Amino acid sequence: MTTLSLDGISKIYGDAGDQVVALADVSLSLERGELLAVVGPSGSGKTTLLAIAGLLLRPTAGRVVLNGREIGDLSDRDMADLRLRHIGFVLQSSNLLPYLTARDQLLLVAELAGRRDRAAGARADQLLEELGLGARTRHYPEALSGGERQRVAIARALMNEPGVILADEPTANLDFQRGHEVVSMLAREVRSRDTAAIMVTHDERMLDLCDRVVRIADGRLSPDMSWAAQETVSAGS
Amino acid sequence: MFLALRELRHSRLRYLMIALVITLVAWLVFLLSGLANGLATDNGAALDQMPADGLVYQSDVRFYLHRSLLPMEDVQAVRDVAGVGDATPLGHLTVTTTPEGKTDKIDATVLAIDPAGFIAPSLSSGQMFDPAAPDQVVVDTTFKRYGVALGDVLLIEPSGERLTVAGFTENQTYNHLPVVFMSIPRWQGLKYAAPGSSGSVTDPISAVAVRGDDGIGDRIDAQVPGVEFASMQTAIQNLPGYSAEMGTVTTILVFLFVIAALVLAAFFYVITLQKTNQLGVLKALGARMSYLAWDLVSQVVILTVVGVVLGAALSYLVAQMIPADVPFALSNRLVVIYGIVLLLVSLLGTILSLVRIARIDALIAIGRVD
Repeated sequence: MTTLSLDGISKIYGDAGDQVVALADVSLSLERGELLAVVGPSGSGKTTLLAIAGLLLRPTAGRVVLNGREIGDLSDRDMADLRLRHIGFVLQSSNLLPYLTARDQLLLVAELAGRRDRAAGARADQLLEELGLGARTRHYPEALSGGERQRVAIARALMNEPGVILADEPTANLDFQRGHEVVSMLAREVRSRDTAAIMVTHDERMLDLCDRVVRIADGRLSPDMSWAAQETVSAGS
Repeated sequence: MFLALRELRHSRLRYLMIALVITLVAWLVFLLSGLANGLATDNGAALDQMPADGLVYQSDVRFYLHRSLLPMEDVQAVRDVAGVGDATPLGHLTVTTTPEGKTDKIDATVLAIDPAGFIAPSLSSGQMFDPAAPDQVVVDTTFKRYGVALGDVLLIEPSGERLTVAGFTENQTYNHLPVVFMSIPRWQGLKYAAPGSSGSVTDPISAVAVRGDDGIGDRIDAQVPGVEFASMQTAIQNLPGYSAEMGTVTTILVFLFVIAALVLAAFFYVITLQKTNQLGVLKALGARMSYLAWDLVSQVVILTVVGVVLGAALSYLVAQMIPADVPFALSNRLVVIYGIVLLLVSLLGTILSLVRIARIDALIAIGRVD
């Protein structure tokens, strides 16, 4: 089942005289249970793609459909509401709030949605436990290792039972082993919870954990043939 | 308040410091307001307590009681003006007194009155002076601090004339000096002792206190020659030094409010700038502007209320320790009003940060747009 689809997305920055095409006619659909990697050099448009998929940015042209709902003309506020309820974010290293404990990072999601209750507390505890952070719930980010922080971020992204998780270079500041651990945890959670994730990365060593890899260059997507040849690609490309 | 409280707790030192600044500013504001209130009371209490609607002065003396000279018959002339309910004479003189048998010199303001008139003060002890015993006086309780008791004799410097304390009255000061109430003839004997010192006026007084309806001022000015009417408020504001004292204190207060606003605005703006990335993450997660705004406002309210309450507590503590002869009087009403002003001013200072927060784009959460 398709959870997120991008159809003919273009993003052009600047005005008539001085235009930069960040994305040119990109189409992509994401199935439940799938971890999709988007790989490309910097300046290729992968962050723009992530921003549009994450409802942080409006495309110049094309359709974005999340859970069967077209985003088209939604107000900024409605987009923020959709992000809050249906999208999980795992961002680069600095995405945890320094003054919240690991448990509060998760409760924040419930708080923002106006649903910080006993059930939210129980869910936060359970998620942290599952991600191996049971002993770190009362720690502030400064007391956590880089890998632990990204695991907290994954737990936070799962807090609202999202349809899609967007991961922006989640292994940026981690060594190979920790990075691999984090990404495999993300892959495991995506499959076991039947959600889906897009991971933007430049770290080729993580790709063996992903179900599907697309490459982006100069704002255009291409399926990764070398990859498809090696692995059984999951349905729905 | 989920985020607001946790952030205050986590960055304790930073927020304690700003709370301390607010405490000190609030403290200074309250002390100054107490001083202003004390000075005003000290200067004009006798006029403030007078149950009159206005004073009639000699014209062109800038409502200075010590320069004003009127003939006694003006009392009747004023009383005859339509709308005037009552009028009674008032005399003024500044003297230096010494309690008999002591060396303390006590400066005082003599106010001469008709003991049966409507401006006679209420007594806290003793009795009103008897016009038949011209040396009797009623004095402010300030004299008790110098050991003066009922029946004691005060000597007037340098002539050595004797006054007997018949009664005490409370909170009667004029021009920062305690008041000695005496009869008009006794006062005339002191002030105009030298022949010809009252000029052509034979039965002199300083001014006339009047009661009546709202329009009496204009009618008195028009109908009684050589006089000028002032409402009690005008009379108090024209006391020597009054507007200078109040002006100075008010200027300092206004500056303090401006400083409080700027300090808080700068502090929270810098913190907001520092948190730009965090705020971007919050927006990316789906936080609404109203949520983030309320978060900041509740922090400012918490810090300001804590600061103002501490400042008020310190001010009341200081008020207990200030010696009685320092003109200082905290007014609960002013403490509440200035506390609210400080709160409003600090909220005004958050506007800059709120604008900044509103402009933060959730996109910065994903670092850069390539």
